[in-house]
Amino acid sequence: MEKRSILHMLDPMPNNSPFDVNMALDAGFEVLMPYSNVKLDSVHGLTQDAIFSRSPSGVKRTGLFIGGRDMGLAIDMLNAAKLAMVPPFEISVFADPSGAFTTAAALVACVEKELKTHHNKTLQDCKAIVFGGTGPVGVATGVIASLAGAETTIVDHLSFDAANDIVKEYNRRFKATLKAAKASSDEQKAELIADHDIVFCTAKAGIQVLNAKVLEHARLLKVAGDVNAVPPMGIEGIKSTDLGKPLIHAINATGAVGVGALAVGNIKYKLQQVLLKSMLETEQPLYLDFRDAFEKARAII
Amino acid sequence: MEKPFILHMLTTAKNLSPFDVNMAMDAGWVCTVPYTNVEPSEVRGLVQDAIFSRSPKGLQKTGIFIGGRDTKQAMDMLKLAKNSMVPPFEVSVFADPSGAFTTAAGMVAAVENELKTKFNSSLEGTNIVALGGTGPVGQAAAVIAAIAGANVRIVGRQLDKAQRIADLCNEEFGEGKIAISAGVDSEKSQYMQTADVVFATGAAGIELLNAELLTEAPQLKVVADVNAVPPSGIAGVDAFHNGAPVPGSKSGAVAIGALAIGNVKYQAQNKLLKLMIDSDKPIYLHFTHAFEVAREYFKANG
Repeated sequence: MEKRSILHMLDPMPNNSPFDVNMALDAGFEVLMPYSNVKLDSVHGLTQDAIFSRSPSGVKRTGLFIGGRDMGLAIDMLNAAKLAMVPPFEISVFADPSGAFTTAAALVACVEKELKTHHNKTLQDCKAIVFGGTGPVGVATGVIASLAGAETTIVDHLSFDAANDIVKEYNRRFKATLKAAKASSDEQKAELIADHDIVFCTAKAGIQVLNAKVLEHARLLKVAGDVNAVPPMGIEGIKSTDLGKPLIHAINATGAVGVGALAVGNIKYKLQQVLLKSMLETEQPLYLDFRDAFEKARAII
Repeated sequence: MEKPFILHMLTTAKNLSPFDVNMAMDAGWVCTVPYTNVEPSEVRGLVQDAIFSRSPKGLQKTGIFIGGRDTKQAMDMLKLAKNSMVPPFEVSVFADPSGAFTTAAGMVAAVENELKTKFNSSLEGTNIVALGGTGPVGQAAAVIAAIAGANVRIVGRQLDKAQRIADLCNEEFGEGKIAISAGVDSEKSQYMQTADVVFATGAAGIELLNAELLTEAPQLKVVADVNAVPPSGIAGVDAFHNGAPVPGSKSGAVAIGALAIGNVKYQAQNKLLKLMIDSDKPIYLHFTHAFEVAREYFKANG
């Protein structure tokens, strides 16, 4: 009997995300095991328990998934798992906290594509701003956009310090060049949006961040992407299925287009499936994070 | 590749009940995934994670089960889950905290069946005394019976607690359309004078009704006891009793024991878990639906 494929799902939170559970099972993993409240220093032991209990052919049918809500911690856990491997007892590891790496990768790749199609620009030519930038998807979006060459600012809706702490941490970790800002009022949002080419909206579901009035202040805006699928949308006027549709309320930004949550979600879904499946198909163990996610997202698009 | 049936099982407790896990697997759910210590405030996030990660077609193979120990919390979580859906991204949800909804449904349906077959009677207008009725099973049974037209009294050790539970049942679960009353243990002998039915849903190992009160009750028809661990909740009721006459009963009452109730409970829970799989449209299941399928069981099996 062929051994069943097992995905050990490590999560620093009290529970795994049902999103990742659905995705992993749909990608073909036969058995899922949740491990919750996992601390960084437990990752070594858990990884070695996973690798030493199957033969080298069995370990090929074994994988490790790292969830959570914190990008830095997820990367630390990925590195800890990698260090715990003892070849040939070695398994693939995929970090995608709150699905943030794949969502952010899909979002940036979709926006990059529309930028090229509608404005013949690249990310290097642009200034980007991330609203809801201090959540898991926001941070990953900022880091990916920044590393791809966009001059990127992360916005928190309550505190400049919160945004700035994140900017400092991730600039140090990944040699990104993020900047921080705070925008709690429509005036502050209008001011920020005025001189940016790209808007990413990664705030909580069901919260409208940019209304029509604020969008009127956009002058350079080329592409806006929104990952919120729960009405009201994060950016007024974007429909969740939009992919390069005109942004109707950005009346002072010529040719500005929007990308909606389901358009991003569609790519994110394919991307996460491809990455999860690659863990089952690979001969050599893979270590997958947001960089691999972005590379694959570009390839899919 | 066919997508597997996935049941996300949420509980406010530290662990799921292995009972529910076995039931879910046996009903055809291929993968059951536990989410423990879940706070009501986390329900929205969990539900939306579950619905946005599969296509509407895949969501037909996705469900959410709500366990825990608290009936009100489970009903609140069921409502929260329903309100978190974003059609067409929507899945079925079934609340059955501690199995209380299906256990209560099994008990009330079994009692109804005895009333009908042995006394040519129904729940309508029947006087029910729910002993040890403040727990999850007692609450659900009281509500189900009251909605079916019975006059139910929840009896507990403390009157104020029993009253609080009765109010909760009337307002929260009965939406103000039922009027369950409260009573205290020390007044039991008085309640038994007019009781047609007794539910015993107390903690295991506590006798709630002694032999004298049981046999002397003038108009008692059916007694039901969910306790499977001796001593039984009602004197002389055996877990295997399934409509057997109560020895010495002056009114000719019959008894239903824990295993007979458990069998109907099992069928009802299995049926509802399967309904989630078979339904084309998302469904939201609780004690009302549990009672419907428990009644159907008796219709089909007499």
